[in-house]
Amino acid sequence: MQTWEKIKNKPDQLAKYLVREKVVDTVRNFFKEIGFHEVSTPILVSTPSCEPNLEVFKTNLKTFRGTKKDAYLIMSPEYSIKKLLAAGIGNCFEITKCFRNEEEVSRLHNPEFTMLEWYRTNADYTDIMNDFEKLFSKIITQTDPKANLSNWIYQKKSYDLTPPWMKFSVADAFERFAEIDTDTMLSKNKLPEVAKSKGYEISQETTWEAIFNQILFNEVEPALRKYNKPYFLYDYPTPLASLSKKKSLDPRFAERFEVFLAGIELGNCFSELSNAPEQELRFKKDLGERKRRGKSSYPLDRELIKALSAGIPQTAGIAVGVDRLIMLAGDFATISETLFFPAKEIFDLQET
Amino acid sequence: MSTINAGNITKGSFIIYKGAPHYVTKTEFMSPGKGAPIMRVKMKNATTGAASEFTYKSNEAVEVADVAKKDMHFLYSDTSEAVFMNPRTYDQVSVPLTLLENKIGFLVTDQKCVVLWHGDKAIGVEIPPNVVLTVAEAHEAIAGNRVNAPKKSVKLETGIEIQAPIFIKTGDKVSVDTTTGDYLARINQ
Repeated sequence: MQTWEKIKNKPDQLAKYLVREKVVDTVRNFFKEIGFHEVSTPILVSTPSCEPNLEVFKTNLKTFRGTKKDAYLIMSPEYSIKKLLAAGIGNCFEITKCFRNEEEVSRLHNPEFTMLEWYRTNADYTDIMNDFEKLFSKIITQTDPKANLSNWIYQKKSYDLTPPWMKFSVADAFERFAEIDTDTMLSKNKLPEVAKSKGYEISQETTWEAIFNQILFNEVEPALRKYNKPYFLYDYPTPLASLSKKKSLDPRFAERFEVFLAGIELGNCFSELSNAPEQELRFKKDLGERKRRGKSSYPLDRELIKALSAGIPQTAGIAVGVDRLIMLAGDFATISETLFFPAKEIFDLQET
Repeated sequence: MSTINAGNITKGSFIIYKGAPHYVTKTEFMSPGKGAPIMRVKMKNATTGAASEFTYKSNEAVEVADVAKKDMHFLYSDTSEAVFMNPRTYDQVSVPLTLLENKIGFLVTDQKCVVLWHGDKAIGVEIPPNVVLTVAEAHEAIAGNRVNAPKKSVKLETGIEIQAPIFIKTGDKVSVDTTTGDYLARINQ
């Protein structure tokens, strides 16, 4: 039975699907009240973003006269919004559909999903941390006015959401929870050795990045989850932050954070890189990496490089999965429960 | 020793983790925006029932546990273990309840099951897709409730409750789906 039919049979089921509407309204009001412009950028583009690990939905644009162009569904609205920042739009946000192909349809992933991005000018990633804490608290209290932020329940577990949330730099977290010092963590030679001695499977092909992630997922994140609080993990090694600005005092790290709650990654933020030549270089590296991994290849977004060359203000921006915010706000275990038409129903897929 | 790519591990399969056979209870394949795809596996030690979680690189080779199957009969269970017997040799073996997930409520003495073995250790049990159980307690359905609730809750001999049609009475035998816990049919004696 499909969701619409279930709701028809049990009308009291409708309320849980309306949490989405409430959350989206709250997000919109939150940003409107602080003077952000809501923008609307294309979902169908000629040059999607070039994350080396994500796969894109590819299609064709055909005109009546027979012109045929490659076209793609966006994985993020970021490139378009940055062009608007160059145009001078200032503080802005967008709530839009994004698409990712070749992923598993799971508790946390639907191939079509809703992304919230906001960009603050003359700001850095610490300003976005503040925004996030305020926005999230508002979402929780607007969805359930009786919610207690110091004893908030998600899937029968209690979390303390009172600000300020916990903040750990990646280097500190590795030192504390995985007993790996910063030099070792950043070293392409030393990290594999330490990982091997910890019992991880390391082969000739295992990259530094894969080892870093495996230690992060197996040692650091489980330790942080035990606090039962939301947390920001910030200052990622520069190779893991292709769109962010390097730290001026320690260029081995870049101003990026991810924010987590209940083991769920909610957002990824950068102090945006505004240096056009450096960005072009990183894009080329990423596109090369895509080719190496057999991902679909497409040209670099020249207009974005042009926009960065024209100059954008110092900006920090974040991408947040709205479906995940709804999951948390409505106490749902899976993204599918937040959607009238989950992909697993539309395409008759098995959710893992 | 056979291995599979971590990306191909499936729920319900058995793998070797830290030298011991583990039953996979959940898998989550993820492509972090930055970083190669990973496979998060939740599993239970197939001898002790202890839960673990490990995140593999999706292309990492993981050892598969060799599993042999034997037909056995359920005997009884206590608070921590379920005991099964080979009906021909009378050999008995106990399996931690945590490895049966919530299936113990479908088992009555002499129910045929398949016990999974890794070497000389029992590491799991496969229960038939449907079983026949006797209704221990069924209240008369309240008149007037038929349109919105054509089903009622009945208690089975094992103590579990299922939703059954209102005509089901105490003493009836019913067939139950062991995957969903749904009522399937009344069995005529």
